[in-house]
Amino acid sequence: MRGKQILAVFTALTTALSIGSLSGCGTESSSGKTVIRMLQYKPEAVKAFEEMEARFNAAHDDIELKIESPNEAMTVLKTRLIKEDYPDIVGIGGDINYSNFLDAELFMDISDFDGIESIKPAYMQIEKDLEFIPQDGIYALPYVANAAGILYNREMFRENGWEIPTTWTEFNELCQTIRQTSDVYPLYLGYKDTWTTLAPWNALAVGLSDASICAQVNAGKTTFSEGYAETADKIKVLLDYAEPNPYAYSYNDACTAFARGESAMYPIGSYAVPQILSVNPDMDIDSFPFPANEDEADNVLNSGVDLQFSVMKECKNKEAAYEVLRFLYEDETIQIYLDDQSAVPCKKGNFTLPSMLDGMKTYIEADRMSDFHDHHYPSEMSVDAMIQTYLMDTSDNAAGTFLARFDSEWIRYNRDLIEKVRKYEEGQK
Amino acid sequence: MSTNTKPLSGSKPKKEKANIPVTVLLIIGSITILFPLYMTVVIALKSPSSMTNDIAGALSLPKTFSLANFAEAMRVTNFWRSLANSVIITGGTILLSLLIHSMAGYALGRAMGKSKKIRMVYFYIVSGMFVPFAILMMPLVKETARLGIDNMFGVILLYVVFYMPMNVMLYSSYLKNVPVAMEEAADIDGASAWKTYWTIIFPMMKPMHATVAILTALGTWNDAMTPLVIMSGSESTTLPLAQLNFQTQFGTNYNLAFASYLLALIPILIFYILCQKSIIGGVANGAVKG
Amino acid sequence: MNKTMSKRTKTYLLMLLPALILFIAFNTVPLITGAYYSLTNYRGYGSYDFVGLRNFRDLFQDARIGKSYLFTFKYALCGTVLVNVLSLLLALGLNSKIKFKNTLRGLYFLPNILGGLVVGYIFSFIFTYIIPTAAKALGIGFLSSSVLASEKWAWVGVLIVGVWQSVAMNTIIFISGLQTIPTEIYEASSIDGAGRWYTFRKLTLPLLLPFVSTNLILSTKNMLMVFDQIMALTKGGPAQSTESISYLIYRNGMDGGQFGFQSANAVVFFVVIVSISVLQLVISNRKEQQL
Repeated sequence: MRGKQILAVFTALTTALSIGSLSGCGTESSSGKTVIRMLQYKPEAVKAFEEMEARFNAAHDDIELKIESPNEAMTVLKTRLIKEDYPDIVGIGGDINYSNFLDAELFMDISDFDGIESIKPAYMQIEKDLEFIPQDGIYALPYVANAAGILYNREMFRENGWEIPTTWTEFNELCQTIRQTSDVYPLYLGYKDTWTTLAPWNALAVGLSDASICAQVNAGKTTFSEGYAETADKIKVLLDYAEPNPYAYSYNDACTAFARGESAMYPIGSYAVPQILSVNPDMDIDSFPFPANEDEADNVLNSGVDLQFSVMKECKNKEAAYEVLRFLYEDETIQIYLDDQSAVPCKKGNFTLPSMLDGMKTYIEADRMSDFHDHHYPSEMSVDAMIQTYLMDTSDNAAGTFLARFDSEWIRYNRDLIEKVRKYEEGQK
Repeated sequence: MSTNTKPLSGSKPKKEKANIPVTVLLIIGSITILFPLYMTVVIALKSPSSMTNDIAGALSLPKTFSLANFAEAMRVTNFWRSLANSVIITGGTILLSLLIHSMAGYALGRAMGKSKKIRMVYFYIVSGMFVPFAILMMPLVKETARLGIDNMFGVILLYVVFYMPMNVMLYSSYLKNVPVAMEEAADIDGASAWKTYWTIIFPMMKPMHATVAILTALGTWNDAMTPLVIMSGSESTTLPLAQLNFQTQFGTNYNLAFASYLLALIPILIFYILCQKSIIGGVANGAVKG
Repeated sequence: MNKTMSKRTKTYLLMLLPALILFIAFNTVPLITGAYYSLTNYRGYGSYDFVGLRNFRDLFQDARIGKSYLFTFKYALCGTVLVNVLSLLLALGLNSKIKFKNTLRGLYFLPNILGGLVVGYIFSFIFTYIIPTAAKALGIGFLSSSVLASEKWAWVGVLIVGVWQSVAMNTIIFISGLQTIPTEIYEASSIDGAGRWYTFRKLTLPLLLPFVSTNLILSTKNMLMVFDQIMALTKGGPAQSTESISYLIYRNGMDGGQFGFQSANAVVFFVVIVSISVLQLVISNRKEQQL
């Protein structure tokens, strides 16, 4: 009896609340133009995107482009997906989020887009490799990339006559020289923020192990204990050249220390440069790929897609979306982005690279690049924290423990995926 | 325990001497707060290029005194608009909480002793406190969107629910020290329970209203997560949402952020001081006497 | 008499109604939905499969989850005790006749409203740079490196900040609790010549008991759900030694693709805390009734 009353009131309230709901997700604006909504995940590039938006809308009277650059964009995007309030185009990073979104069948096949040939094949391949299950068709267009390796203080190197190392031995010799002949640390590490351990890890791994190692493990063809043994050994060597107890210092501390000339080098990606320059605007920073191997020819630059565009499956007006993409890939539009954010364009052509990538230039031009390995790691596995744990482990068999754990946790966290992959492979036979 | 527990009420007529030892102890203790506060202010006054890892440098006063960071922080966060939204959300939550939670707390507090069922309802609501927000988040995003309240109003309703367990508990424990004699007297006079509540009980709970208001405000004022996921990047931003501007994936502008946090601190601090007056000043000693 | 009683009860129920409707709509309904997801491998978006009790089975075999329970409970136990003792002392102090009363009350309230970014930066700086330098100067060996970088002691660093921030809230509750105690009682006891400690134990504390149990529950809850301080100070490190349950639920459930699994974790966690707090409530209710 009373229960019924409560239920009745509850229903009434719910209905009352739902009246006047459902904001339209139609593609027609009041002025009759087709609206293309884009959500991109780099709020730091909001100025560049505002300019692009203005230019596009000035040049088009049939399509209106609306670009959103929210903070915490990935959270926002996920909530939009739950609300089924889909944008038409998303600008996200080429990482495991993309793989998951693609696996959830959120994106449209855009292989008939006419601008694909103008994009560097190395980056198109990186996109392909992000697919859990090889897909027919193309679902993402890489826009700009970032690169990671070692940043160094160019002025300090010049003053001391230090040379850029190209092999693992040279790198070790350089670090020893720095330690003996100067009062700065060769390296500074900000391992309090666990994610920074992934910077040297990725940069070493691209040179020392196969780019498709994760896919191979999923297919049961190899193990991490095998593939990552050398990477695990070498990342530990770096500790000898850094400040003591690097687990006490954060990413921000390390950026500040490097900017203040407390270290000669900093193993991190090009993305850290703005933070470093904010502390020391006059600093001359350059970078080089991690010299992980004994033979320079084996070294590979760690570079991944920082921003890519995908068209959502729910997009109602594919032609208009393509028109937006065409505009985004015009050289002048890309230059707007490059002028605002230091980045490596994924389009072929002559763009001016920012000076802090000088030392990586030859690799970029020769397409000697490989994606960040952690773009394939499930974030909930927290490989960064595992690496930190390993680095803090001073026992003799630390590497063995770590790699065994890597293998066993990988299987647990990727259980559904591995099953899917094996099924797919069987279907292929 | 040497603290003086004797002069408890501010309404005491006769003047007493201030308790100097306790004052001194409290001042010494407040260093643990003044020192971090000093650091915050110093950082808020400096520019990113004077950030350093050495202690003397970090603690020293800026060479030139400038409020530029505060002005810039206000510009970046669209301060007045964000502030207005924050005030609407926090204010709305408090108003609804005072009405809804006090009624519920009263009803539960008074009826709990008599009925086992009501006691179960009390435990049911209080247990809501322990539901991890992360499990509710996605279903709530969907639900509010379906109901068309994925906006500030929806955020207010959610806050009212989030703080309900705590506030209901506070109200009903406050009532434990308030004798029922008064209501019974009103009852005999023929007043309805409803009327008794609004004319006698509600005004009498003023100190608890102030407590509830401040505790609820504490939770909502700095919260970025709920508005972020519920309003998911719509035009109306709150202060904590706008403050996310200072942090990107690979860089944080601490100087602007700290200036902004200090600015955001002022309204709530003022609100707290006002509430404190009601907590202390509004003691219903007469009523408690029964 | 009986008739007015039932009328009264009816009014009580009416007063309860708005709260109950909202609570069911925005707590119970989403909780049930969330609990349903704990039986799936849902990522938070896209399609998903029903996996039965697999998530729960995994939960009990996951060493990381086990470790997070140990950390969380160790943290909550110490935190609850510290917060309640400190806030009771503070409330008594701030409620007595002191100088600069308003300023001091305002100051002690501040930690609770400083944003996570500020707290994280300042305390990291204190732990990383100031304390080790001071310790070296004073020759205190074990503090000469950052506690936040020590697998063994990082939790203490987080605890200090957590307590520092939480004390304000419980102090406010104790202060308002102290207002419900009639002053006549003290006058009577001082006439009797009772000592301060005796007055506190025999008069203040019993009357304060409803607030003590409220505070115990609130602080237990806050401490068990520790999240902000971890995000601000350690992000679960070093060596995964400060991963709290809430941290895992949030990071892996929302940011990662483990929504289904972490929903299972949340359900179990919820059941565990509810059991603990019901026990707390029952015990403190019994205490109150005895007095």
